This record gives sequence, structure tokens and C-alpha cells, in this order.
Amino acid sequence: MNAVAEGVPVRLEGVTKRFGAVLAVDSVDLHVPPGKLVTLLGPSGCGKTTTLRLVAGLERPTAGRVWIADEDVTDLPAARRGVTMVFQSYALFPHLTVFENVAYGLRVQRLPAAEVRRRVMEALELVGLPETAERYPAQLSGGQQQRVALARALVMQPRVLLFDEPLSNLDAKLRRRVRAEIRMLQQRLGITSLYVTHDQAEALALSDVVVVMNQGRVEQVGIPEEVYRRPRTRFVADFIGEANLLPATFWEGAVEVASYRFPVEQEEVRDGPVTVMVRPEAVVVSQDASGLPGVVRTVFFMGMTTELLVDTPAGEVLATQPYRADRRIVPGEQVRLRFEPAGVYLLPAEDGRG
Amino acid sequence: MLAGRVGALVPGVEARRQLADPGLALAFLAGAFALAVFVLYPTVRVLAYPSLQDYLSIPHSVRWVQAARNSLLSAVLSTTTAVAVGLAFAFATTRPDVPGSRFFRAVALLPLFAPPFMVAFSYILLFGRQGLVTRHLLGLDVNIFGPHGLWLVQTVAFFPLAMLVIVGVLESISPSLEQAARNLGADDWQVTRTVTLALARPGIAGAALVVAISVLADFGNAVVIAGGWPLLATEAWFRMEGMADLRGASLVVAMLVVPTTALFLLERYWVGRKRYTTVTGRGGRLERPPTYPPLKWASFAVCGVTSILVLLVYLGVVAGAFTAVWGRDWSFTLDHWRLAADRTPSLWASLRVAAGAGAVTAVAGILLAFLAGRPLPLRRALDFLAVLPGALPGVFVGVGFVLAFNRPPLELVGTPWILILALAFWHLPLGYQAAAAQLQQIDRSIEEAASNLGARGLHLLRDVYLPLLSRAFVEGFTVSFVRAVTNVSIAVFLVSPGNVVATFAILNMIGNGIWGGAAALTTMLLLVTFAVLAGARLVVGRALRPAGVG
Repeated sequence: MNAVAEGVPVRLEGVTKRFGAVLAVDSVDLHVPPGKLVTLLGPSGCGKTTTLRLVAGLERPTAGRVWIADEDVTDLPAARRGVTMVFQSYALFPHLTVFENVAYGLRVQRLPAAEVRRRVMEALELVGLPETAERYPAQLSGGQQQRVALARALVMQPRVLLFDEPLSNLDAKLRRRVRAEIRMLQQRLGITSLYVTHDQAEALALSDVVVVMNQGRVEQVGIPEEVYRRPRTRFVADFIGEANLLPATFWEGAVEVASYRFPVEQEEVRDGPVTVMVRPEAVVVSQDASGLPGVVRTVFFMGMTTELLVDTPAGEVLATQPYRADRRIVPGEQVRLRFEPAGVYLLPAEDGRG
Repeated sequence: MLAGRVGALVPGVEARRQLADPGLALAFLAGAFALAVFVLYPTVRVLAYPSLQDYLSIPHSVRWVQAARNSLLSAVLSTTTAVAVGLAFAFATTRPDVPGSRFFRAVALLPLFAPPFMVAFSYILLFGRQGLVTRHLLGLDVNIFGPHGLWLVQTVAFFPLAMLVIVGVLESISPSLEQAARNLGADDWQVTRTVTLALARPGIAGAALVVAISVLADFGNAVVIAGGWPLLATEAWFRMEGMADLRGASLVVAMLVVPTTALFLLERYWVGRKRYTTVTGRGGRLERPPTYPPLKWASFAVCGVTSILVLLVYLGVVAGAFTAVWGRDWSFTLDHWRLAADRTPSLWASLRVAAGAGAVTAVAGILLAFLAGRPLPLRRALDFLAVLPGALPGVFVGVGFVLAFNRPPLELVGTPWILILALAFWHLPLGYQAAAAQLQQIDRSIEEAASNLGARGLHLLRDVYLPLLSRAFVEGFTVSFVRAVTNVSIAVFLVSPGNVVATFAILNMIGNGIWGGAAALTTMLLLVTFAVLAGARLVVGRALRPAGVG
């Protein structure tokens, strides 16, 4: 189990799933490269969990095909796909001990007791919980239960590992730690993984590739940096991180927001009206003569940073500033805003979805 | 918050503060007094009535030993089959992909509304020596009287109790557990065996205990169909009626109360805790995987056969009410209704008694639930006494009230009050639990807001709780009323010549072979029951069902 296995790819082709009149997944094409971790990210009801369950075989697609390792598994039952899942509610069997929980799938396969024992203990050691083997799930903390669920999925040596919002029942600090553990294990074992979450920070931190979904469709696919820095649609810009979306005009390599004009290097942008996305941390607040003029409305002290809401002719702008003891900005102050290129991206002009 | 913590550390401080309120103190005294006089005292009277000598003689009396052995045997047999059938129904009704799922659920509740002797009576009409099915359709000569008849009847009468308990457990099993098992490679049968049924095991144990109590305490069916086969529940009455042997009667019911109380305590304090909480975290709105086909069809078959038997219970009695001479002349007649009409005074007596019992159960239940929810002295004792009657067989309560109230200062024998109070306090757990469930739904902050605005003690009960508890009143009243109007196990001990209730009259008619009249009067009783339940449903907006020991 410790050897890095050769991962297998997962492919979805035009997969659609209807529940009665509801279109949960709308002709989704998806490719999970071998050994990589791909997250499905989106708000609740966007079809990400249904997509995951289609790969698991817990649902059958209305149309389209599912491929695992270049084998068409669309009609294969869940048990024969070599895919295991870590459930959101953990779904640990409350009447079985930790050991029996992890052993469940192996015993179903009727493996010899000695092999079951060896593999279960290996899996428990992998998640750092060998000493809990004889306890019941109810006697474990939430984080421990989560890791047992992970061990139960890993022990099957799956070709593909699925995660259904596995961290959503943990508190913020614990979530960060378990997240790091999952990523380390996944990379070490090289198991192709599909991971569902609605938490954009989790998706950015964990993934090789992020798939942003909305209303049953794929909005954008890319590495974390790309979907953050170059969102293709307003939805993606808004969903991943904070974003100021301001109406602007683009011509001759520069964009004009109200009276503030600054150069933007971006390919394939035509002259005319655009929407400019500015990340709050890319907004520089100063008393300079140049920049977008504005009046500070409110100031939130956040610890290491300060958040300002600034009224400008182009609309309200959220700005995140590093905290400075020597420079206090107060509501009512007249300021100038400049936008740093790294946090600026142009989207097609206001038309709903872009 | 602070007051609560101090109260917990220094027992009595908070309690004394509460009792400083005169209204609350009075209510507390009234509640404690009622429980002491109408629950504790009759119980102690029964247990203390026989001498130590009497108790020691039990193993030497062939009759006692036989009755005890028969009661235990019927408890084991009927509980086993009732739980098996109940499990099949629970399975079928929680799996929408079992055909007829909703129909089975509706049918399974029907026996809960039948008077406690009705299944036996109807099966005598249908499957007895003169039976419509056995003799006239199949041409068989069958004697249904005896242990085998009782076994069949009790299975049909009590499987709904098992079903209700097991349904609760099956419904609490998160579908994600079944899906996780499937995801790990388990097939349909393995999922059912290692997850679904394994998790239902404590529920099945709990169902067995509940059913066993009811079977042991069952008087109505036993007295009608057991024939000469002695049982503890019926023996108590024979002692009293035939021989005026109070000592023998109290000895028998004391023997009966030992296993029922033991089962009751086991259910309440052991199984109640053993249940697995399968809801860990969020995300439970998943569909259940399809049911394992052999299991699906097996439960369908069991439920189908049993449903026919249940529907026949009602059909048999109604047919009996319109048939000239059962077994000889099958022509249609209304004569029995004329006979039943002669007994309408007993129907009125039944309604008066049941209305009284319903009102007392509801009021006492609300008062005690309110008291048990506050930091008062003895609240655990109050709680225990309020649920204890659930462990007592009806015949035990009947004998207890005769012994407790046949002499001054509280000489109630011969008045309707003794029957009203006996039924009311026997049903107290139903009213108490209905009220407690409503009280739990009342957000603590509502009370805190009211007391923050100056309402205290009984004012809280009147201003905050009572409006919210009218629902609990209707529930407690209805359930107690329905059970009281159909009761026989207590009534047989406490009716007096001026206060013959309908069930007692029916039992006498069955005993004297006046089947048509008995069937007509039973049908009238059923109409009253369903009318009251329908009225209650209009008021509380949901269906109520009486359930518990016989």
C-alpha cells in the first residue's frame, strides 16, 4: 500500500442526470488525470455531489458514459468499480468497532483473517489511529471519525478515491489539519481522487485541478491559480474568493473605470465595454493624485488586515489592506484607489453569466 | 443559568425557591398525593395482601404453577410470532419499493383500535367450530379454543406494537450507511444482514419486551378464547368472581406483575440506552438503495397474509351483527340491533366512565409533566410513579383498586368513580408522555421571556404552557377515552350492578352464546371509538392511536 501505485484516469462524457423534472447534471464532460486530485467546486445544488455519485455507481446517468482506466463502467454496479468513497456524514457503522469498520469491505470479499488484520492495521497506521482499533465510532472525536472513514476507503486499495465534502462537519482549525493530511496521503499513494466541496479555500489548497460547477454545468476547469486569477465568468470570479466587479471600457490596451485608466495585458479582449474583476487585496488605497477617487464608508479591523468599503463613481469597492499602526484610515476620508495587475482580470461586459 | 448551576450543587436551594410559590406548592402536593393514593397505594395493597405463607406456597400449588407456566409459554410463542410479523411490516412500510407499502401501514394500525377481546371473538365466529371460514367454506371441524387459538389471536392483536417500535428504529438508520456498505463491495443481502438488520437489533429487542408485557397482561382475548387453559391474567378473575377469593386473586396478579415490571424496567433503562444513534453529522437526505428482492417478496407475502387476517377481524364482527343465527341461519337480520339497543344504558355508562377517565388522565398527565420538568424535590420519584402503571397489567390494577378502596376512608366500591379513577391512572403514562413531549417542544426561551417579564410559578403554567398544552390535553384525553371505552381487564373487577359498562355486557353475551347481540354491541362500540378518534384528529390535526398493555 505504501508503494506509489500507477493511477488510472477517470473520464465523463456528456453525462446527464435527471431526477424527474429536475436536471441535476447537464451534459458534463470531465477528465481526471491519473494520480491527480480534482475537486468539484460549487454552491449547494450545483450537481457536484450527483456527479460524484455517478462515478461511484450510486446513481445511473440518464445519458452519457463514465470511464475508469479506459473501461466503460456506466453499467457496472458500485461494488465492481474499484471505487471507494469517504462520505460527508462519515457513515461509519455505529454497531461495529473501528477495526470492524475498516475491515468491512475486506471481509465482504472473504479475504483470510490474517490478511484482513494486516491490511486494516496498515490502513489505521496510515491515518495515525492504530490505537483506536477496538473502540466504537461514538467514542471518537469528529476528526478521528473522519480519518477512520478515510482508512476504510483506503484499505480497499481503490483505483479511484471519492470524497463527498469530507470536512464539512469539522471545525475550522481541524479542517485545515485534516485537509493537509488528506493531500499528503493522496500524493504519497498516488490515487486518482475526485473531491467535492463548496469551500473554495479547501478547493484551492487541495487540488491539482479545480472544476467549478453551477446549475448542473461545468463553468471552468483549471489549476487553482488559474481559476482564481483568470476566472472566465462572473460566477467563477464571485464564487472563488472575494471579487469587485466593476463596469468599465477597454480600448488600446488599457481599461477605464470611471475616470481611472490603467493598462491591462490580457489576450483576446476586444475594444468596448467590459467588466473588470479586482481582488480586494489588489486594491491599493492612498492619498495620491492618481487612481479611482472614493470615500471610505466603513472600516473593519480584521487583525493582520483591515477591510475597507469605499464608495466610488463605479460602485462600491471592497479593499483589503495590510494592517499599519502608523496609518489609520477613518470613515469619511477621501482616498484614491489603484489596482495591481496581478489581481485584475477582464470579463465580458455585464450580461448575467458572461 | 447561574441559578441552575447553584441549584445542582446545593440540592434543595432551587427546589425551596420553587416551593415558595404557593400555587406551585399546592400543585406539587396535589400531584404527589394523587400518585401516592391512586398508583402507589393500590400497588402496595396487592403485594402486601397475601401473607408470606401464601407466597411460599406458590410452588406447591399445581394450579398456580400451571397458570404461570402457561402464561410464560404463551408470552414466548406469541411474542416471537408477533415480533416476526411486526418486523416484516416494519420492513415493508419503510421501503417504498415493497408493493402495497402504504396499504400495509394502514392495515397494521387497525388492531390497535379493536377492543381487547375483539380479535378472539371474531376468530371464533370465523374459524371456530361454527366458523364461517372453517366449517362453511372449508368444511372442517376445528376447535379454536385453547392455546393454539390464543397464539394466533395474540399474534394478530399485538404485532402492530412490535411494528411501531421497529419502524422507529429502521427509519433512523441513515441511508448513507447502506450506501457506504454497498460502496465497499457488499451485495444486497450482505447490506441487509450486516447493516440494516444488525442496526435494527436493539429495536427488535425493545419490540419483544413491549409485546411480551402486553401478551402477559392480555385478559380480553384470553378470557374469550383460552378455554380451560389456565393463565395468570384470567385466573385472577376466576378467583374473584367464582370464589370471592381475594387472597388468591392478589397472589396471582402479584405473580403476574413480577415479569411485566421486569420487562418494563429492562425496556426503559436498558434497551432505551442501547439504541445506536446512527445520525452522525449532516447530509442524510439520500435515497435508500433498492430492497433485496427475496426479502422484498418475503415481507410482502407475510404482510399480505396478515393483512387479510386483520381485515377479517372487523369483517367477522360486522357480519355477525347482521346474521340471523350464526352457523345455522345465514339470512340478514336487524334483530341483534334491537337486542343491543336494550343494552344502550351500558353504552351510556361506558361513555360516562371513558369521558371521566379521559379528562382525569389528561389533566393529571399535564400537571405531572409540568412538575417533573421543574427542579422540585422528589421529581424522579414523581416521574417513576407516572410511568409505572405502564408496567402493571389491567387485572393487577383492578384487584388493587378493589383492595384499596373497599373500606373507609375512601370507600369507592359500588360507585362509578372507582372505575373512572382506576382507568384514568392506569392510562396516566399515556397522558403524561403526551404532555411531556409537548413540553419538550416549548422552547426554554419562551418560559424565560415570560418569567423575565414577571410571570412566576403557576402563572407560567397558565399563561405560557396551557395554551400550548391544549393539544396535549386532547391527545391524552382521546387515547385514554378510547382505551377506557373498550377496556375489559379492569372493568370486570370494578363494575357494580348500577354501572354495567358495554364491554362487560358484551363479554357476558359472548359467554352466554348470544353472539349476534355481542357483535352488534361491539360494532356500536367501534363506531363510538372511530367517531371520537376522527373528532380528535380534526382538533389536533394528526391521527392518534391508543397503544400499550392490555
